[in-house]
Amino acid sequence: MSNPIIWTKDLTVSFGAHRVVDNVSIAIDQGVFTTIIGPNGAGKTSLFNLISGLIKPTSGQVFMRGTDITHLSPIERVKMGMGRSFQLTNLFPALTVHENVRLAVQARSDLGLDMWRPFHRFRAINDEVESLLGDVRLTEKRSFLAAHLTHSEQRKLELAMVLSLKPAVLLLDEPTAGMALEDVPAMLELLTTIKNDKQITTVLIEHKMDLVASLSDVVIVLASGAILTKGNPSEVADNALVRTAYLGGGKYGAASA
Amino acid sequence: MLASLQKRLHDTVRQGVFHPQFHFLAYALLGVLLLLPQLTGLVTVGLFTRIFVLAVFGMSYDLLRGYAGIINLGHALFFGGGTYIAGIVFANYGTSPSMLGLAVLGTTAYAMLAALLMGKIAFRGGNVVACAMITLALGEIVRQIAESWRAVTHGADGLTFPIPMMFRDRVALYYYALAFMVIMMLALRQFIMSPTGRVLLAIRENEQRAIFLGYNTASYKLVALQVAGVVCGWSGVMFALTSRFANTELLTVQQTLNALLVTIVGGTGTLYGAIVGTAFVQLAQHTLLGLRGVHPIFERWLLFFGAIYVFVVLFMPTGIVGLYQRFISHWLQPVKPR
Repeated sequence: MSNPIIWTKDLTVSFGAHRVVDNVSIAIDQGVFTTIIGPNGAGKTSLFNLISGLIKPTSGQVFMRGTDITHLSPIERVKMGMGRSFQLTNLFPALTVHENVRLAVQARSDLGLDMWRPFHRFRAINDEVESLLGDVRLTEKRSFLAAHLTHSEQRKLELAMVLSLKPAVLLLDEPTAGMALEDVPAMLELLTTIKNDKQITTVLIEHKMDLVASLSDVVIVLASGAILTKGNPSEVADNALVRTAYLGGGKYGAASA
Repeated sequence: MLASLQKRLHDTVRQGVFHPQFHFLAYALLGVLLLLPQLTGLVTVGLFTRIFVLAVFGMSYDLLRGYAGIINLGHALFFGGGTYIAGIVFANYGTSPSMLGLAVLGTTAYAMLAALLMGKIAFRGGNVVACAMITLALGEIVRQIAESWRAVTHGADGLTFPIPMMFRDRVALYYYALAFMVIMMLALRQFIMSPTGRVLLAIRENEQRAIFLGYNTASYKLVALQVAGVVCGWSGVMFALTSRFANTELLTVQQTLNALLVTIVGGTGTLYGAIVGTAFVQLAQHTLLGLRGVHPIFERWLLFFGAIYVFVVLFMPTGIVGLYQRFISHWLQPVKPR
């Protein structure tokens, strides 16, 4: 019935005595847009860090397409088709927008350690960069330094970089975090495009509930490091446990009303 | 239009791409340098020969510090190693031009092996401070070997050696050194502009992001260290031709710090900043020492030099090249790109 591309088995990580992720077993099905929600400190980003290999689990395993990747480095996981964005914008600040994306495209191409030809001679790469910049509407900012972009533009740039890896699994950690409200619709549009690309299985961490409701096929709720419930957006919205986890449910209730 | 020019200037300098305006300046400067031996005496010619050679040492350091973001405190082991290898070859096997070839080959092999070992050890953890400490220790080990291996290196006495005939003429050596510097600068620039070189910039900017794009950053850093090590070793061989003498001082941390100093004074992450910085440091030293006749306090020229250095760090954090940029941007009335 299901065809998971990523799954975790009893995944646990403790920092000192504190169990940040506690026996989490989830399966992300191929082509299913999955969103992870939960109050601050629920362990959402830690779960992403475990899946992407930034931190090693205390116990438990992570699988990708049937392979145990628990002990693989982040680099090897990227090569297997995993791409991730970060909650805090993670770019090459003193390089241009174009160069940021170009480096991402170059990472996927098999140039190896080419040391002699100047980078701007690689036309196929440059063309791809231009098309990606068009996708995220940053073409006009191509020669700006990443550090000089607005916060919303930086989030879009990071998304373009992760997309250029052509990942099979896309882990997006709050792409709208800190974004001005008027920029959210553009991001939603972008995320919808990604959702419609059936090559990509997206896992999203998000707090903006209208966004979650309109994008997600499946919502997983984390609280205190453990899975509280899982279901489609409306099921989750009606769940009494979820409302309690969000301290009375005001935030979630209001957004879903 | 002016604003866009200014912004391009800023971007290109930060990213190691040379701007046409700099090309013009560079050609003008090169013209002056080509005529210099006709205009001045042997003292100045010798001083500039030294500047050219040490500038390559500085550029190789800038490749690591300014582009890849690696602090290597053992960089002198490549420089001193090159000088020692050349000296040992010339002292023991004669000074025919082919011996220079042997010295260069030997230095290349030595530098590649040393960089491989150093990189394998220092880039394991990925921490900048750990890397600095490990390279410091490795540099000291090589210095210690040179000091103890008296039969070959003459230890603390230093090694005096003859050089091939073609380099004995001071003016000829000046032109060889100038050509060496220009070729090395173009080669390093080519390297920085290559796909591999771009990844080094990415590592400097944000190593975590580079890893999560799938770059094996440790192997890129190793390549950078290999390239910087070999170029640095060659500058050591050239230094052997200018000094005809090698001692363990060439292998000390102080020697590495000299390279660090010139990149800071000149401007890091620019390559030519190392040339400007070396010229500034050497000319300042020369001038201050020249003032001994005016007042004996200039015997303590380091005192003044230290003050200049503090001034540069405090008020010109981007070095002389950075100051030039700021001057230009003021002149062009920049619009803040947003």
